[in-house]
Amino acid sequence: MPTQDLTIAIVGSGGDGVITAGELVAQAAARRGLHVMKTEAYGPQIRGGESSCTVRLGVEPLLAPSDTVDVLVVFGWADYQRFRSEIVPARDAIVIYESASPAAPAAEADQLFLPLPLEQLARNAAGSTASKNVVTLGILCEMFGLPTESIEAALRHKFGRKKAAVLENVVKAFEAGCRTGRELMATDERIAAKRLAFSDAEPLLMMSGNEAAAVAAVHAGCRFFAGYPITPSSEVLHFLGEWMPKVGGVVLQTEDELAAIGAVVGASFAGVKALTSTSGPGLSLMSEMITLSAMAEVPTVIINVQRGGPSTGIPTKSEQSDLMHALYGGHGDTPRVVIAPVDVADCFHATVDAFNIAEQLQMPVIVLSDQAIGQRKETLPIGAFEHKVIDRRTPTADELADYARYRDTKSGISPMATPGIPGGTYQTNGLEHDESGRPNSMHVVHEKMNAKRYRKLAELDSFADAVRRHGPKNAKIGIICWGSSQGSVVDALGRLAAKGIAASAFVPRLLSPFPAAAAREFIASVEQILVVEISFSGQFHAYLRSCIDLPAGRTHLLSRSGAKNLTAIEVEQEVTRILSPSRDSKEVYA
Amino acid sequence: MSDSAAVSKPNDYKTDLKPVWCPGCGDFGVLNSLYRAFADLELEPHNSVVVSGIGCSSRLPGYVESYGFNSLHGRALPIATGVKLAAPDLTVVAVGGDGDGIAIGGNHFLHAARRNVDLAYIMMDNEIYGLTKGQAAPTTPTGDKTKSTIYGNPEPAVDPCELAIAFGATWVGRAFSGDVKGTTELMTAAIKHHGFAFLNIISPCVTWRGDDQHKEIRAKLRALPADHDRSSRAAALAYTREADAVTCGVLYSVERPTLVDEIFDIRWKVQNGAPPPTTREILQSFL
Repeated sequence: MPTQDLTIAIVGSGGDGVITAGELVAQAAARRGLHVMKTEAYGPQIRGGESSCTVRLGVEPLLAPSDTVDVLVVFGWADYQRFRSEIVPARDAIVIYESASPAAPAAEADQLFLPLPLEQLARNAAGSTASKNVVTLGILCEMFGLPTESIEAALRHKFGRKKAAVLENVVKAFEAGCRTGRELMATDERIAAKRLAFSDAEPLLMMSGNEAAAVAAVHAGCRFFAGYPITPSSEVLHFLGEWMPKVGGVVLQTEDELAAIGAVVGASFAGVKALTSTSGPGLSLMSEMITLSAMAEVPTVIINVQRGGPSTGIPTKSEQSDLMHALYGGHGDTPRVVIAPVDVADCFHATVDAFNIAEQLQMPVIVLSDQAIGQRKETLPIGAFEHKVIDRRTPTADELADYARYRDTKSGISPMATPGIPGGTYQTNGLEHDESGRPNSMHVVHEKMNAKRYRKLAELDSFADAVRRHGPKNAKIGIICWGSSQGSVVDALGRLAAKGIAASAFVPRLLSPFPAAAAREFIASVEQILVVEISFSGQFHAYLRSCIDLPAGRTHLLSRSGAKNLTAIEVEQEVTRILSPSRDSKEVYA
Repeated sequence: MSDSAAVSKPNDYKTDLKPVWCPGCGDFGVLNSLYRAFADLELEPHNSVVVSGIGCSSRLPGYVESYGFNSLHGRALPIATGVKLAAPDLTVVAVGGDGDGIAIGGNHFLHAARRNVDLAYIMMDNEIYGLTKGQAAPTTPTGDKTKSTIYGNPEPAVDPCELAIAFGATWVGRAFSGDVKGTTELMTAAIKHHGFAFLNIISPCVTWRGDDQHKEIRAKLRALPADHDRSSRAAALAYTREADAVTCGVLYSVERPTLVDEIFDIRWKVQNGAPPPTTREILQSFL
């Protein structure tokens, strides 16, 4: 029986061509209309060191990376050792590895281990071991039913610009791999079960969450980006560096994150939609300027792609531990909006939402993404990228006649003039100020202006896409999670349903202001509650407690450190434990 | 204020906000010079932006009829850079003190100058932290007793003009706030300069540096010689770190493309006459 869902992981060290091989498989599959989810992981080395690429291919849309891999390719076991807790072969996995690499472990359960002389095959076919990744591609194509012609076409495209002899050798290596793959196919009946069966569909776009967010910025009308390079968010800078000049915008790589958000505040003050993008350490540095954006009521959008923290932490791997900083970072009473995308496509929508909200409410809006969705690539149909754009409202002639920049209106939103508009001149301030913008340190003015700034948030009571709900109503167990955790949680809901367990999920996209009424309704509708997050100290759980009452005796918590993405199996096992008669899960208030 | 009539009188640029500065503060002279320079240049208030950081002198935007931004300590230049790049037709003036610009904001000073952002950066240099009531600044002379250096300042002082030249500013001048006429002329030239213009204005703090500072500076005032070569960095640097003189005038002035010039040049080449791509066209690049 062939499969419709296949995960292949390739592990090696820098120079083995691991990333290229994964990219070629993913590209070719997307072109044939297969759904793809591709993640990469690296060691801390700039060049060389261990690297891995995991590609999940599916006939149906994919929710999350798989718990385990079906096919594992290992160029060197020493490199694999560093990923062993993150890249786990399935009980029936097929493991292809370089036979010359020492210290191969023994196969477990129903696993099929195939030691192959990959380097020697490459040397024989192409005269160099450098093509071992291409040999491997050929083997994978024929053994597992990947789209061989499309991968060969992608290879020819990639190496077409090099010397003819190079391309010739690449093709020879690929063909040699294909021959080996065909020979291996019949050697074990377990291989047939891992063959991918699919029929061609419309080609799909393939992009990362960071790229989707960058496209969203351009779509939303952002024409100013300032940023400082930081892993894992630099793709936003790279993408906009390429496209902003084409759309008539500006990209500024600043001297630090303070200057990045400073330039964004300046550009937005001058009337242009503006964006910065960073990760945890950069968000820390931006805190003071975020308070200025709130105080001076200048719209700003900050994309924060979370990585392991605190301090420098783990730059290349994901965590959900910047939550409290995004929600509360900065001194004083600082209103802001925090919106968390739940997958790659949502990095696009959340970013357009962020611009729409920032421009309407004139305050900082943080898009709280993370490495897991920021850097993984997914396939999406081109139709997935439609989103209404709201532009800044300029003051009317009547409003300018008696202009006060910070007029204390019913909604708290005041007409914002920008330089170049005659009659709208005002001096803005990080100092507390009165309605016309003049510095003022009186208690009554401070109280009034604080209330005005916070009152604007009530506009989001009617925000349409505040929460994503999944699964049946009145479920036995309700899972509350946020951001990239949604994928594995929803994956787990499906598996639980197949076992006859009614489980549902409540995923707030809008984290602040928190959709408390909807959350209360959800909690009342389920028997047990499980909070899921990738944070050692349980930041999301603490935040939930500050927003709503979580019922004692039926609230449970699955929170752990990052540097390993959440898997559906973890969620499934935790739910099973909670619902078992001899419950031993971490019950929060028991 | 109506913009319909041409503005040409210094008083037209005054707001009804009264400065918080101490009587005798050098910053009054700077403000009066700025009113005059704006009038001489006939700047339209709605097309002018004055940006500052934090400090006594950073209160200045509130006193000028224009768009203004009294921002965060040390961050006037990043904000001014954002304003200029977003709306290059605006006249942008950044103002602030020596602590704001050289201590907490020193890194931005370097990079705004290096990028040759087309704006005038006016520093009101009083050799002290005034707003926080009298602590040593990077410009405070070695040995000076201040609130934070009661046994004498153990650190060497910097000359802001020397830094500006080293950082790549394309126009560098020095003025004395007590000389409103001279300061006005230099400020006018700084605003007119195409590129990053840095004007250091010696602006005494009577409260924390003593009543005699005015007199002492006046005694040291010198004018640049008529044959001073403004295009020479070496010649300009000869008038920095002066021990017994305060030489005023345009120390350095050269022309090179500004950041906006470079960005527009790149944009023109990249666009190559093509219309801006739509979202759909951008998405096609992911196929």
